[in-house]
Amino acid sequence: MSTAVQPGGGSSARPSPSGLVDVIDTILDKGLVIDAYVRVSLVGIELLTIDARVVVASVDTYLRFAEAVNRLDISQEKEGLTDLVGDVTENGAHGKAKGALDAAGEKLRSLTSDDEDDERGQRAERSSRRSR
Amino acid sequence: MTAQADTAVYVYGIMPGDVEFEEQPTGVGTPPSPVRLVHYRDIAALVSDVDVSSPLGTPDDLLIHEELLDASAAAVPVLPLRFGAVVANENVVADELLEPYYAQFSEALEELEGYQEYIVRGSYVHEAVLREIMAEDPQAAALSGQIRGADPAASREGQIQLGQLISERLASKRALDTQQLLDTLTDQVAMSVVRPPGDDYEAVHAAFLVEATGADQVTAAVRELAADWEGRIDLRIIGPVAAYDFVVTTGPSPGG
Repeated sequence: MSTAVQPGGGSSARPSPSGLVDVIDTILDKGLVIDAYVRVSLVGIELLTIDARVVVASVDTYLRFAEAVNRLDISQEKEGLTDLVGDVTENGAHGKAKGALDAAGEKLRSLTSDDEDDERGQRAERSSRRSR
Repeated sequence: MTAQADTAVYVYGIMPGDVEFEEQPTGVGTPPSPVRLVHYRDIAALVSDVDVSSPLGTPDDLLIHEELLDASAAAVPVLPLRFGAVVANENVVADELLEPYYAQFSEALEELEGYQEYIVRGSYVHEAVLREIMAEDPQAAALSGQIRGADPAASREGQIQLGQLISERLASKRALDTQQLLDTLTDQVAMSVVRPPGDDYEAVHAAFLVEATGADQVTAAVRELAADWEGRIDLRIIGPVAAYDFVVTTGPSPGG
């Protein structure tokens, strides 16, 4: 049994209800699993199940996509197609446009709500310098 | 026969023992208890008491678990635990977790010192990517033309066909765009992990281990990519967070 610092492989897809998108994907699928450490005995605590749709390609998915295509504004379509054909590069990237990354460096808590951002003010610091 | 204890100890993660919190944070559970450290030599586990009869996993519980670890990771290296680890008492933490595996935990913490994890996540702008697919794929365009205005029941087969085609095209785009993201950052990051897609329109989802001194450079590169993808992919970067994606337990599980 060992702990290693290395890329942890992807696990099964687990989608997220809005508002907890990133937290759920991270802490339910990633991180150290304590009961893999042989001598650690776990106490069974009921864990609430997160009711969420499993991302599996299915007929429902396909119908949703078709529906979304149907909803594309037809009047724009002919003009849009011409523009796209002109602009589309190998992987479909458009030309550079001015745009700001709206969440660069944002901490997780800011994604949930602005109110919570102010309330949850966890801060931690080192109490001693570690010598190297 | 011993009586069933009312409380147990919830474990968030492992870190150097010299971390301090400015305020007294509380942990998971309703109502939550204050967090504290259980020490063994120069490492410690971050824990809090929980009521054994109370279920865990409310949205607040999940947020708190992550926030405590991320706040700690801003100051010290952290080995984050998956949500839901509960042991009987503090002695179990010290005697069964920290002591037997002290060398490994110490080594992992040393390796993580000076590094931070960032997560880059992007979703396709629905209309833009669908138009892209219609423009690139004559078969999709033809199917769409047949379906539009037709009786929904009669065109169901065509809808399913079109939907499947779109699903496949999206998967291809996801692979290409993910590769572009990885290529963009490869020289600036120590490690990267691609995460599985979380929903139908997810474009990219990856975690990166970055030297703290190089974080600004990485953020700037992601910003530039976001500008390139403006209108096509909504891109965002989250972090720094504790290194969830880069700390793994290896070896056989008990009972195996």
